[in-house]
Amino acid sequence: MDVALSKNGARLLRLFFCLVVVFLYAPIVILLIFSFNSSAVPTFPLSGFTLHWYHDFLVNADLRASLETSAIIATLSSLGAVVLGILASIALTRRRFRGKSAVSALLLSPLVIPYVVFGISLLLLFHQLGVPRSLLTVVIGHIVITLPYTILVLVPRLDQIDVSLEEAAFDLGASRLRTFRSITLPLILPAVVSAFLIAFTTSFDEYAVASFVVGSRVTFPIYLYAALRFPDQLPQVIAVAVVVLVVSLTVVIAAEIGRRVAERRFAG
Amino acid sequence: MAIAEAREPPAPRRRRLRPDLTTPTLLGLPLAWLAVFFLAPIAIVAAYSLDVYSLDPGPHSLTLSAWHDFLHSSIYLRLFWKSVKMSLAVSAMVVVLAYPLAYYLALSGTKRKYVLLLLLIAPFLTSYLLRVLAWKVILGDQGVINSFLFWTGVRSPDHPISQLLYSRFAVMLVLGYIWLPFVALPIFVSLESLDRRLLEAASDLGASRLQAFRKITLPLSLPGVFAAFLFVFIPTLGEFITPSLVGGTSGYMYGNQIVDLFGTGFPDWQTGSVLALFLLGVVAALTVVFARFLQPGQVSTD
Repeated sequence: MDVALSKNGARLLRLFFCLVVVFLYAPIVILLIFSFNSSAVPTFPLSGFTLHWYHDFLVNADLRASLETSAIIATLSSLGAVVLGILASIALTRRRFRGKSAVSALLLSPLVIPYVVFGISLLLLFHQLGVPRSLLTVVIGHIVITLPYTILVLVPRLDQIDVSLEEAAFDLGASRLRTFRSITLPLILPAVVSAFLIAFTTSFDEYAVASFVVGSRVTFPIYLYAALRFPDQLPQVIAVAVVVLVVSLTVVIAAEIGRRVAERRFAG
Repeated sequence: MAIAEAREPPAPRRRRLRPDLTTPTLLGLPLAWLAVFFLAPIAIVAAYSLDVYSLDPGPHSLTLSAWHDFLHSSIYLRLFWKSVKMSLAVSAMVVVLAYPLAYYLALSGTKRKYVLLLLLIAPFLTSYLLRVLAWKVILGDQGVINSFLFWTGVRSPDHPISQLLYSRFAVMLVLGYIWLPFVALPIFVSLESLDRRLLEAASDLGASRLQAFRKITLPLSLPGVFAAFLFVFIPTLGEFITPSLVGGTSGYMYGNQIVDLFGTGFPDWQTGSVLALFLLGVVAALTVVFARFLQPGQVSTD
């Protein structure tokens, strides 16, 4: 006899699980269906198949520019966050110092700050310093909010690695930097990649903070938010939505599978 | 160390010349970044809330008037309380829904539990705005649900169910939809680490499944449940995107008020700063009080 679930209980829970999955994916599927619907308003009955909306967004220069801006911001901020995250994670896992728990609490605190509060705080900072809002001000904000995610991915990986490998390299005369380059970095590389991807997708999708500090070059979420207020743009926004959702789902699943494969191979 | 130096005498000199990864080198950059771009901005908000800095030109002196007005204003506090109630309801709803999902994945002995977990969480990792957009398309007066009802003749096109969109209901439904996949994770982790031998022992001693659940599984999974609850409650309390897209006036939340005070209409940065700091204070207090449930280890999927 199974102690946690009866046969019927398991069946019931499986049914519930399936219903929830349907509930979670139905809105995405509905968007997918309407992205091919020829009517300009997403209503039933469906009026016919078209690729018109996909064509529309491919030739929409503003939209493409916003995707490009977001890609640049996401690349810069996730590189920044990963570098800072590696430095902080090594200190947290490999060094002893006073006030470690306070330092780690500070490093993780951007996780819980309401983004609306952080957004206006940055706005006031840049206003006070007279820094004009631009692509860089968004990057600065995104590094702050993605840094804790990189640390949460990197610290468990660093904890898994056998410290004696690093000690051996150090004892053989390698500097700490050399030890890091030749031993630590290759071992944590899968985690570095997934930290980068998490930071990248977070930044690419971030609206709240960006909305306060963005300059004249709008990011993709900001373009989307504005477009959502004009019904005539809805069909092509739906088409973009489908492309972005499918691409991000693929990246997320591929990254997760890659991480598991890599960790299984390196598991020691 | 001693051996290495004996064998390689120039090593100490080389080490001095090379940049080395000392603790200050490692922590300097991340901490400086947070000091300048995270802590300093919050201090500036505090300065605005006390009128030390201000949008208006002219001389300024420190005053608590905005704080006083805020704490005696029924509008802002009532709005805050409304947001608290909405967030509590959303958090409770998603935790109750997510618990059986996590229970199924962790304890039913299904072989594909990590695949199913990924299936569950994947929507959370896709675009936030686009998931809100999907519901806007579904719930509108001419949206998917209403047009389906017209089409099938259940309702006449003159009388759509108009409460679907731009309502408190819409805000809570969309927030629940957005957070549901994510909250299953901490609950799953706490159930997954449960020692099944405890359940076997309970069963051997004659406990029914329900008794075993009430006395063992549920209490041991409570840290995960609390973590899940806070993971939803904290961000939804300051939410402004979803209410501004699907909330209308009845779904207006505290976060929207903050945004509007910093908006282009009638900006009042002093009051806005007070509201923002008050929210931050509440969230910080919750985080500190419940810190033991929010350990990073509990969110790790490994």
